[in-house]
Amino acid sequence: MSISTEKKLKDRTLLGTPGAGGRGVGRPVVINTEKRVVKPGKVGADRIGDEVELLERALDELVDEFEALKSINDEEDVTDVMETQVQLLRDPELKKSILDKIQEQRFKAVYAIFSSFNEYIQLLENSEMNWLKDRTIDIVSIRDQLIDTVRNKQPDYIHADNGVIFAEELSPTEMIKLSRFNLAGIVMEKGGLTSHVVILAQSLGIPCVIGVDWKRMWPEDFEYVMIDGDVGSVLFEPTDQLKEEVKFYKQEKLKKQKIALQWASEPDETECGCSFAIRGNVEFISELPRVKTHGARGIGLLRTETILFESGGFDVQTQIDFYRQAAEASGEESVIIRLFDAGGDKLPENHEQEHNPFLGWRGIRMLLDKPELLRQQYEAILRVSVEFKGKIKILVPMISHMHQIERAKDILKEVEEELRQSGVGFDPDIPFGIMIEVPGIAVMAKEAAEDVDFFSIGTNDLTQYMLAVDRGNSKISSLYQPSHPSIWRMIKFVTDAAKEAGIPISVCGEMASNPLYAACFLGMGISDLSMTTNSIPAVKKMLCSHTLAEFKEITAQVLQSHTSTEVNLIFDEWKNTLDLHRM
Amino acid sequence: MRKKKVTVLNEAGLHARPSSVLVKTASGYKSDLQIEMYGYRVNGKSILGLMTLAAEQGSEMELIVEGPDEDEAIEALIKLFENKFKRE
Repeated sequence: MSISTEKKLKDRTLLGTPGAGGRGVGRPVVINTEKRVVKPGKVGADRIGDEVELLERALDELVDEFEALKSINDEEDVTDVMETQVQLLRDPELKKSILDKIQEQRFKAVYAIFSSFNEYIQLLENSEMNWLKDRTIDIVSIRDQLIDTVRNKQPDYIHADNGVIFAEELSPTEMIKLSRFNLAGIVMEKGGLTSHVVILAQSLGIPCVIGVDWKRMWPEDFEYVMIDGDVGSVLFEPTDQLKEEVKFYKQEKLKKQKIALQWASEPDETECGCSFAIRGNVEFISELPRVKTHGARGIGLLRTETILFESGGFDVQTQIDFYRQAAEASGEESVIIRLFDAGGDKLPENHEQEHNPFLGWRGIRMLLDKPELLRQQYEAILRVSVEFKGKIKILVPMISHMHQIERAKDILKEVEEELRQSGVGFDPDIPFGIMIEVPGIAVMAKEAAEDVDFFSIGTNDLTQYMLAVDRGNSKISSLYQPSHPSIWRMIKFVTDAAKEAGIPISVCGEMASNPLYAACFLGMGISDLSMTTNSIPAVKKMLCSHTLAEFKEITAQVLQSHTSTEVNLIFDEWKNTLDLHRM
Repeated sequence: MRKKKVTVLNEAGLHARPSSVLVKTASGYKSDLQIEMYGYRVNGKSILGLMTLAAEQGSEMELIVEGPDEDEAIEALIKLFENKFKRE
């Protein structure tokens, strides 16, 4: 590629934070994000009935629409969101307020809707609780949809088929409505990685990039736009070659189901016969069946924070039920349970806003300060372990200091002793491992390896902490580059330390779900990878159809690189040769 | 009329999902449901009303149910609070 075309390409590229993986090409569709202005128009007494009629019809129309959306999509996250939206439209108090404004104050339906909704929006925006503030975007969106319905205005996205959506921020409802258009992708200026929209995009399989400053590009001036939700890039006017690539990629994705079944039953072995293990990252109960169908060797990372909030408590029995279900779904394979990895902001009694939560009171730091929480979790894990001896493992997040390992192990022993005294059975040899995600402990890997049974590398946080980049911050999120050579060298260092100490090492971060990166991990000597179940077929295919020698060669090149660009080039070139061979 | 003081037991408080479950349950009965907290009273069948309560874990509130099926309704609602709004 000549320097000039590369530069041009760069000018046409915007970078953001990867929200949901996958690639797509489509027409840009900008969703009108201007705030609605509604004038306080009044009507004569004779028109009141008409305005009420307008309101009733619009409400019914929208409810029908939402109910229909609910029925075409059986993802639990989706139906839950729709249920709440319907309840908002059917809210008796809201309706009373709107009707009062029409009938008593003679306002037009649009204004009555606008001002009644706004009274609630204002109340919620003034709330101290963040989840309530987050809800207001849903309510604003319902308000505007209802106003549009009364005005009989078509929504902006009526022609969104195969388009790439550009929005400031989308509400979950908009997201679900948009999802029936077979979207090529979603680009948002705002939105957090944990926002509803991103989670929905992931479960619906729509590529999504957030934190993109897209307005200066005037997207609609371009005919096509390409989105890459894995790296977080948006490219305007992609070359025909790139478009072809994405087309090919999409065809591949369509075949995914077949491939999934085909590769799921293949043994975990490279072409040269070296064995590896691919396991699943699991967060929701609804994901459990995929462990088997997608060919995961059990669960390499069971996140526990979501289930704890979902079931509304930390109580031991709720945890036991979840862990048991996870172990049952894993059959003969193991389950690595990661201890509660969340910030102190998730605790009900703690309202302190931390200036820097990612460098704050979270993971094991919080658990050691809240030993009753840690004890309960240990107890639940241990009680389940007796039924699945040798298959349950404990993984501790956010270790930065050696003494935390010691303390966490001491408390485990105490809980074991208590259970022993009360005659409760458990697995006495339950493996105890730590996450390697803080650089400070990564550098101490040799020493730490002597105290624990295994390492699991969390690449997302490791990248964030190594490069000092908060990937939720849109101003700097383009600096969040897992391909940065320092990350690879650090992982290599930790891997060597683990090998030397003779303890198993695995990778459970997002990097493992990229087939090229996964190959590189194998080349480095990490043969145990855990990833979202949806990524397993593609990764397995890559690892099964090449030799370890090929992977080692790539790894050697990557480890010698000076820049992320160099690393990306190595992967791109390798990928191109692979594609050529395939044709 | 039936009255009963209840406590929000689930960790995250009366957030989106529990509110939704509560409205759904209350709407299944003919009786009216009022919820009183800190002297502030909302319609228990109104999701927006429930949200404005911003009830956290440990919040105490009074359920006031009135109507033809008030006995069954209050039993179901109490159970919901006790079960931390878990889905059936």
